[in-house]
Amino acid sequence: MPSEPPREPPSTPSPSSDPPLPPVLTSSVDSASIPPLLPVLAGHLHPLTLVVAGFNAIRNLLIPAVIVFATGSQASLGIMLIFFLGLNLLQAFIRYFTFTYQVEGGELTTRQGLFERRERRIPLTRVQDLRLEQGLVHRFLGVVELQVETASGQGAEASLSVLSRVDAERLRQAVFGQVAELTRRGASSSSPAEVPTEVIRKLETRDLVLAGLTSNQAASALVIVLASWQFFDDLLPKATYERLVETFTSRLEQWVNQGDHANWLAIGAIAVALIAVGLAVSVAGSLVLFHNFTLSRRGEDLHRSYGLLTRRSSSLPRRRIQLLQIQETWLRRLLRLATLRVDTAGSTPGQEQGREGRDVLLPVLPRREVASLLPILFPDLDAAAPPWHDVSRCAIRRGTLKGAIVLMALTAINWGIQRHLWALWPMLLLPGIYLINLLNFRHLGYALSDRFFWTRRGWLSRDTHLVPVRNAQTIVLRQTPFDRRFGVVTLFVDTAGQAHTKSGPQLRNVPFDQAEITARAVAVRAARTRYLWR
Amino acid sequence: MEHDASNNRESSLAAPVDFLPPAGEVVTGPAPLPPSPAPFVALDRRVIQLWRISGLLGCAIIALPALVALLFVCHSLLGSAILAFVPWSGVLLFGCLWSLWYPARAYRAWGYRVEERVLEIRSGVWFRVIRFLPLSRLQHVDLHRGPLERAHGLASLTLHTAGTREASLGIPGLADADAESLRDQLAAAGGDDAV
Repeated sequence: MPSEPPREPPSTPSPSSDPPLPPVLTSSVDSASIPPLLPVLAGHLHPLTLVVAGFNAIRNLLIPAVIVFATGSQASLGIMLIFFLGLNLLQAFIRYFTFTYQVEGGELTTRQGLFERRERRIPLTRVQDLRLEQGLVHRFLGVVELQVETASGQGAEASLSVLSRVDAERLRQAVFGQVAELTRRGASSSSPAEVPTEVIRKLETRDLVLAGLTSNQAASALVIVLASWQFFDDLLPKATYERLVETFTSRLEQWVNQGDHANWLAIGAIAVALIAVGLAVSVAGSLVLFHNFTLSRRGEDLHRSYGLLTRRSSSLPRRRIQLLQIQETWLRRLLRLATLRVDTAGSTPGQEQGREGRDVLLPVLPRREVASLLPILFPDLDAAAPPWHDVSRCAIRRGTLKGAIVLMALTAINWGIQRHLWALWPMLLLPGIYLINLLNFRHLGYALSDRFFWTRRGWLSRDTHLVPVRNAQTIVLRQTPFDRRFGVVTLFVDTAGQAHTKSGPQLRNVPFDQAEITARAVAVRAARTRYLWR
Repeated sequence: MEHDASNNRESSLAAPVDFLPPAGEVVTGPAPLPPSPAPFVALDRRVIQLWRISGLLGCAIIALPALVALLFVCHSLLGSAILAFVPWSGVLLFGCLWSLWYPARAYRAWGYRVEERVLEIRSGVWFRVIRFLPLSRLQHVDLHRGPLERAHGLASLTLHTAGTREASLGIPGLADADAESLRDQLAAAGGDDAV
């Protein structure tokens, strides 16, 4: 095994040379010992709850209803539909009359239920995120749906559907106002004056078009096109459809047989058209989802609002960011764009999160603006950048070897199909594989400052992760038998709620002794801070 | 050099996002942490026997259904059910030898120590893992005694954090009294007032 040049260990200062840790913003305030600060806020749902529930029920039953009536009006099925509609309305009716909420003594309490009374108390300091959602119907009626998220990681802890816009805003202010009050009492109290809202970033239509063009959803849009083709297939009368396909294929055959270049051009044009449709769909999706996207800050709270049809907004105290990912997929990297994703302790993975745009903090922004944004998200971010440390150079060799094995398998299959010298062409890609691994290696690295741990990886698409050391939960080094031959390990920092930030801060091929020193340094520094849920 | 160019292009970065040290440059920093003087604490030796017994029990539990399946396969494919005993006894022998040999290796691989309020656990014979747990991140500790463990006077600890993929860490094969004192020590170090 070739020996690596000896390296100095990374800059992990000994504990004695550590600068004092920043004062923890909040001390252990026992929320029970605090008398109610603000006037008690209490209320119940908006009367339009019934209307919204009715709309939702009708919307959900619309497709079954169409099917029922299209396939011959069977009265019994129709009665069943009406029965379900009634059931939904009854549910909404009960909810409207029994649901109450109040904010008092540092707790948000919800009560509901007719026969079985349910009461839920959520300590305000545990509220991770308040989400407001406004669909088209909601907007028309001037009401919102409010969801309270905690660190349970199981979706919304409480769902208030629906409130008037004023009530929702009042509740939001009560929750976050009291949280701020509680935390201020813990720290040396600063002036409790009204904090102005500062817009961090607003996305213009141009940004959103770029986001749509570079989101790798063009492929999924193609799927939609194909699916609608399939739908056509089902819908058209069989004879018509077959005749269509027949003419199409015969025309195609004719074209290809003629061997005319123009025909290949036509096929190319169809492909381009398909791609264009895919891009158009994904641009439209981005425009609809993130219309008027605004990220703003009010004191400690980050506030996002976006959406053309359904308006969504959420408030996130910035201290609750567990982990940040700067994601640059290859298309976005070409255009020097990046996406910011964050995880809170309450993050839950899921398709729905992406569809509702909840998985990104900022869908798209120019790469060079990321650096100026980070200190807003992490006020205690180091002013001076910590140096990056390389991983072991064996990463290049191992990556190339892996690529070579894949290429060899490809070549073998090719050779099996056609025994010709040309069948060996995949081996020509080997230098390219080496080059990619070399470039990848140059973009692999980790950095550790007193309060933050960074990892970055990838050349074509790039991921940079930033973890505040105060949020590190466990630091893990893993070594496979292959790793041991090269004297390297995989370094991983676990945090709460890793859902939207892909595989988290994880780095392979870190030399063992450096990894051990770094891991211990992160752990020791983390041990000296307290993990705060609030 | 290309990375120098990229460095200049975005030199205004306050964060080390695009900063690439020239390839091969040795980054020097403050001195590393002094080598840890605390040795790793091994598990209780009795755990080897416990693992052997549970391994053999596992072999025994799997052996019978496997034999039935093999008999069926050999009968239908090869026409002779007796042939099934050849692979079966081979695999069974291997399993038994493995269960007798492996626990000693695994025992040597396990170890833990507490230093500077960080618990370090290492384990794994071929696939080695070292986990560092800052004790202020400890949410709660479970102490578990299974029937076999009780018979050997052993207990195991499970440590829970608020993390996601590594949210629970285990230390098996501790002597009863050790497990309790370790649990109390960890829980005390992990308490909020200790910070």
